This record gives sequence, structure tokens and C-alpha cells, in this order.
Amino acid sequence: MTTALIAEDEPILAAMLAASLQRLWPGLEIVATCPHGVAALSEALARQPDVLFLDIKMPGKTGLEVAEELAEQWPGGRPFPQIVFVTAYDEYAVQAFDNAAADYVLKPVSDERLGRTVQRLRQRLETQPAGGMGAVLAQLRALAGAQPAPAPAERLTLIRAAVGNQVKMIPIADVVYFEALDKYVNVVTADGEALIRTSLKELLPQLDDKVFWQVHRGTIVNAACVLSALKDEAGKLTLNVRHRPEKLRVSPLYAHLFRQM
Amino acid sequence: MTDTATLDRPRAARRFPWRRFGTDACWMLVPVVICAVIVTWSFGDGTGFGINLLVSACIGTIAFSIINGVRLAFWGEGRRPHPLAFAALIAVGVPTGQVAGARVAGWLLGRELTSLHTLGSSRTSGMLVFTLLATGAVTLFFASRDRVARAEAAAAEERARAEAVERQALQAQLQLLQAQIEPHMLFNTLANLQGLIALDPGRAQQMLDQLIQYLRATLSSSRARHTTLAQEFALLQAYLGLMSVRMGERLSYAFELPDELRAVEIPPMLLQPLVENAIAHGLEPTIDGGHIHISAARRGDLLTLSIVDNGRGPEAGPGKAGTSVGLSNTRARLDALFGARASVTLRPAEGGGAVACIIIPL
Repeated sequence: MTTALIAEDEPILAAMLAASLQRLWPGLEIVATCPHGVAALSEALARQPDVLFLDIKMPGKTGLEVAEELAEQWPGGRPFPQIVFVTAYDEYAVQAFDNAAADYVLKPVSDERLGRTVQRLRQRLETQPAGGMGAVLAQLRALAGAQPAPAPAERLTLIRAAVGNQVKMIPIADVVYFEALDKYVNVVTADGEALIRTSLKELLPQLDDKVFWQVHRGTIVNAACVLSALKDEAGKLTLNVRHRPEKLRVSPLYAHLFRQM
Repeated sequence: MTDTATLDRPRAARRFPWRRFGTDACWMLVPVVICAVIVTWSFGDGTGFGINLLVSACIGTIAFSIINGVRLAFWGEGRRPHPLAFAALIAVGVPTGQVAGARVAGWLLGRELTSLHTLGSSRTSGMLVFTLLATGAVTLFFASRDRVARAEAAAAEERARAEAVERQALQAQLQLLQAQIEPHMLFNTLANLQGLIALDPGRAQQMLDQLIQYLRATLSSSRARHTTLAQEFALLQAYLGLMSVRMGERLSYAFELPDELRAVEIPPMLLQPLVENAIAHGLEPTIDGGHIHISAARRGDLLTLSIVDNGRGPEAGPGKAGTSVGLSNTRARLDALFGARASVTLRPAEGGGAVACIIIPL
């Protein structure tokens, strides 16, 4: 029995997708219908279905974020689910999904299109029961690359961070890594930490991508400070960095940055 | 050329209006000739017209330069001098013009015109009175010209304002047309409609009715100049009805429109963009959704329209990509229609969420 999860914040569209799937794929069991991204992630981890239908625009987490975090937290040795993105009319996104060779269906979902997707999924589940995390990661990377480029920002040379009642000046080269903390970013240097009120998303365009690498949703590391990358039994990658005792986790999405030459 | 244009610039930054001074000087030729004619043929002492014209021109030019020069330098083109200050200016300008002008004319003619610049002599006093009268006449003439110019400037400003209103209305109309065929809204609504046709034909019928009502209301209000509060609230009801089919349990809403305000006229589609913002940025991005309360109230001669939601609040940043034009457009529209008497504000609500508030004169 093949199992599926539907993540969609509009209840009628979720019910409609479930009804269409029952028509087109009687052997498919829908084990969970989730109204937001947070539930989708926890349910997918708990039930480990074969197929996920992820709405792109959901409260809590977007469909892309769910897929990425699922790849990070997926238990080793289990086949990774096939993922189909469900997206509203939006030309840019459609172009990007095509380019990323990702499975997607457009809302309103037509039976004809969904039928083709179902056929492809069944074929793939038969021929390669071992999960295609690699394929999904490649798609996510392509989609991330297809995000509309943020407005070119000024290069950041000096970080002004509030520490207590004083403002600390931190030269950008002194930063070992940045980590996201709720509404703040923690700036970590060899001799301390300081918070700045911004998000990693806003920070990223202001950094030189040859010097600072994103290695995780919540971490940007100074590449010159990376000493080694370590893989554990479960295949999870961590970094040892200069001047700091912490080990930084690498998301599967960015693991390719640390392959040996 | 308007009052305000010169007012908001500091005096130091104001350049002397040479052009204006020049055109005024051209106008000065008329009274100079008239004075020469009067002096020659009414109470002259037998001096020829040519000489009188020269004397008149010298006196007139100097008096005019002092009086008009000081006026333009101090008060600029658009403002009226204080009457007392102007009287003092004339009291200085006229005798100075009389004495200095007569001396210059004498020097040009190669003879002394003592009778014209010896203060205290009866002839000089008579001529002084005459020059004063002439100056008074000239002043009245220029003052009326200024009044006309000011009235024209005010009319031009009014015209510009009317044009701005027109432009805003046109822009609003265009935005409405875009809003109606905003692909996301329409496609999402159609997707839900398609689902309901299969799942629950009765509710599909209801939703279709709401969609028709919404499209009809937006289309008709995009062509109208005014709408009533009752109509605007009906449109919002249709819109929120569609949105609540889509968002299900996550959206609840309430209206508060006192009966005596139902017929009050407001610009069409004034509240719609702000309600859309409350949903898109305040409620849709949250897992639990929330509540929208839309109300109208009268305070004295002001109408207050409030849209309160309990979502993420204005600090949370935009909930979806796209330009946040709703608020700034509304502000520009109100400014064009009502000027400083209207306002639109967005602030955090107590206990989370946002309050968008429009105040317009009744």
C-alpha cells in the first residue's frame, strides 16, 4: 500500500486533491492532511509516507522549507519520499519548477495533469524504491538558485552590534560564523558573541559569497575558518571551525560544498 | 508665484526677482509719461514737454527703484507688505526720488533745478505732493495687478489640485481593474469553486454568488466617483465571504456600521486594499489565522473607519512578496481629495495585530 501526505492550508483544495487522488490512484492511502507547514514536517517525520504533496505557500513553513528540513531530519536508512509541489498560478515559479525538473501541479489541479504526475510517481516508486533524496536536494538547490535575486546590497565591512549598553564594532573578517536566533542573528567571533537585529535572509546579500558560505538554513560560516567536515554513521555532516568549540551542522542541501576534491 | 512657494523658503535663499522688477519698470513708463503730460499742460511753469518728461522719468525711476526694489527684496513677489511698513517706505522713497531725481535731471540738462529739490520751498512742496499722489496711483495700480496675479495663482493651484484628484481617481480605477483580475485571487477562488462543485454543490452555488457580487461591486465602483458606506461594506462582505471559504476556520470577521452612516458617501474601494493587507500580511501567514473587525464611527464632523486584525502586527514585515502599495496609494488618494483634513494610519493593536484607521471629513 502506497501512502501519501497532503499539506495544504485551504481546506477545500486539500479535500479536492484527496478526492482526485482517490479517483486516479485507488491504491493510494492518504495518511495525513496538514493545514500548515509545521504540521506537515512533524507528520511526515512521524508517518514517513511514500509521497508528499506540498503546497508552496502555507503558513508556518513554505513547501520548500518543509522539503529542506525534512531532508535534514530524515532518519538514515529509510527511503526518502517522492515530493510533488502544489503551486498557485505564478509564471515565475512554474518556470523555476520546470528548470529544476521538480514534480509540480498547478492549482486549480486538473485531473489530466494530476494523472500524468500519478503515472510518473508510480513508475518511480516501482523502479527505485530506495528514496531519491539526492534528486529532491538537486531540485531544491535549483529552486533556491531560481529565487528572484535580492536587490544588490552594499557589501558589509563592519558589523555594529549592541552588547549591553555599548555598540561593538566587529570587522567582517573576524566573524567565524553567523547563526539565526529567532528574530536576531548571533555574530560569533573568536572572542565572543553579539546579537544583531536582522535575519540571515537580509544578511546574505550583503556578504561576499566566496568568503561566507551558507551551510544550513540557520548558519552562515566563514569558509576560511572551517578546519574539517565530519560525517557520522547516519550520514550527517558537521564542521569543526577555528577558534570555536562548537560543531556546526551542515544541511544535506549544502553537503556538496564539502565533498573531497 | 504662490504665497506658499515663497513662504517655505528662508529669506536668505530667496533670489531677488529681477524679471519681475524689469516688467514693473516697463509698466512705470506709463505713469512717467502721464505725469509729464500733466505737469506740462495743467500746472507747469512753461517748461517744455521733453524736459518735463526727463525730470518725471528721473524722479519716477528713482522713487520706483527704491520703493519697488525694497518691497521685492523684503517681501518677494507673492506677499503683501505690511501697510505701515509700506507707508514708511513711500515716505522715504518719494522725497528721495524727488530730490535725487531732480538733481540727476539737472545734471543731465546742465542746469540746476533748485525749485524741484529744495525741501521747504513752496514749488518743491507742491511737486512733492504731486509725486506722492503719482506714487500712490502707481502703488494702487501695482497692488491691483498683484491681487489679480495672486487670484490667478490660487486658481492655478486649485486646478492642479483638481487634476491630482482626477489622476488619483484614474489610478484607483486602474488598480481596481488590476485587483479584479489579480490572478492569484481569481485563480484561488476558481480552484475552490471547482473543488466545491465536486464536494458540495450547494456551497459552490453560494460561493459563485459571492464571486459575482464581488466582481459586480468592484466593476461598478471602479467606474463611480462615489460609493456609500453601505455599498462599500457590502463589497467587503462579498470579499471576506470568498476569503473565508478559502481560509475556512482560520478567518472570522465582523462589521459595525451604524444606520445613520449607511448613506454617507466615500471614495470607492477605499477600504478594500487595507482589508486585503490585513489578510495578506496579518492573518494568512499565521498558523491559526484570526479575526478582522471593520467599523465606521462619527466623531463630530469626522468619519473614522477602522480595520482591526489580531494577526502578526505591522512590525512583522510583509507577509507575502509584492509591493506594499495599498497604504501609500490610500494616503495619496486621500491627500488629493481632502488634503490635510484626512489621514490614514497603521499602528500595532493592543494585544497584537494591527489597526488601520482612515479619518475623512464628513
